[in-house]
Amino acid sequence: MNEAAAKWSSLLEKVALHSDRNAFQQLFVHFSPLIKAFANKQAGASRGENFSEEIVQETMIKVWQKAASFNIEKANASTWIFTIARNTRIDLLRKNARHFQNKATSDQYEDAFDVDDIWVENENEDVFNQLAKQRNSEMLHESMKALPEEQSLILRKVYLEDKSHSEIAEELELPLGTVKSRVRLALNKLSLSVDR
Amino acid sequence: MTKYHPDTRFLTDYSAGSLPESQALCVAAHLHYCPACRTKVSELTQVGSEIFLSQEREEVSEDCFDRIMAKLSDLPATDTQSESSTSASLAATGQVIEPEPAKDKYVNDLPRAIQKLTGGSIEKMRWRKIGKSFRYSDINMGDDKRETSLLHIKAGGNVPKHQHGGDEITVILKGSFSDQEDHYHVGDYIVRTSGEMHTPVASQDEDCLCLATLDAPIVMNNWFYRLLAPLF
Repeated sequence: MNEAAAKWSSLLEKVALHSDRNAFQQLFVHFSPLIKAFANKQAGASRGENFSEEIVQETMIKVWQKAASFNIEKANASTWIFTIARNTRIDLLRKNARHFQNKATSDQYEDAFDVDDIWVENENEDVFNQLAKQRNSEMLHESMKALPEEQSLILRKVYLEDKSHSEIAEELELPLGTVKSRVRLALNKLSLSVDR
Repeated sequence: MTKYHPDTRFLTDYSAGSLPESQALCVAAHLHYCPACRTKVSELTQVGSEIFLSQEREEVSEDCFDRIMAKLSDLPATDTQSESSTSASLAATGQVIEPEPAKDKYVNDLPRAIQKLTGGSIEKMRWRKIGKSFRYSDINMGDDKRETSLLHIKAGGNVPKHQHGGDEITVILKGSFSDQEDHYHVGDYIVRTSGEMHTPVASQDEDCLCLATLDAPIVMNNWFYRLLAPLF
């Protein structure tokens, strides 16, 4: 684990064990501008300031509340916070969408399950993968920088703009197969075991 | 052993959070049974997190932190406190902690979201029967483009022959089934494209429970009508 990652993890631990406000504030200072940028890149954005500030607040509140479930042995603090921001974004979009839907069906749906039931946060990861992952994290960082622009552009669209492969194909006027193969090429360059 | 897996497109869009929820539910169900795909998703999520960290930062409003702290102090209790103090403070505020519904054995090892859906037992769900050995229960995903259902086929029974009007994803949750092409097992994630015809048959020794989601832009295209009047 690199130094920065170790720092964020130990801050999270302080929040978990001692409800340490100061540690929480340091996490806030580092991560909230990233969460805000992430929220603002939402496809069909112009949802405005309120939407992105709400995502920042909701995400940080969950970081505080869930800090105890963060497993320092298994997970990387940045990745963990990213998954919380991702789930918060899905959740808020879902609530917004429900606003425009038939109320009766939406209510029923709300009882069925939460976003976290589908996008489960790392609960199934085993230790071996995690060790391999931490070893690779710096390598990944380096090889990301070396990706050709056409590949990294698509990865950024996938992960930041909340666009599915088909939506990206439409936007860039590329066949779906081309988008798929660029993603696959990029992931192969990042040494991910992608074979399908 | 799981043999059929979601391809990279499904796993990437799932880890990015852009996959439609009904399809994400199918991926999540597969992940429950497949450690290999779980590893892939965790790698992909790490890629996402690298991209997240490489963004240009955007300043938040000045009072953002104070608002967060204010909201936190309004909450009765948090996970950062121990279990007992949480229950104690909840009890103190008069909130009732609802016990989880009792789950039967059959439901216990299903994926988390499906367990929730069943409310503890699949017999509590509303099923529609078609023929002697097939029934289905619709899942409301708040998605008008897709139809999502649990399908239950009795041991040795079959799903009436049908043709798909849209792309369909099926994940086996219990038991196994065969069609003209192969034999499928628990955890298998099977994609059928529009127009393919098949007649799945459950294995003789066990009932088969599946999760299926179908791209269904056509109103009439639900299981009931599809089976009653297959498209020609």
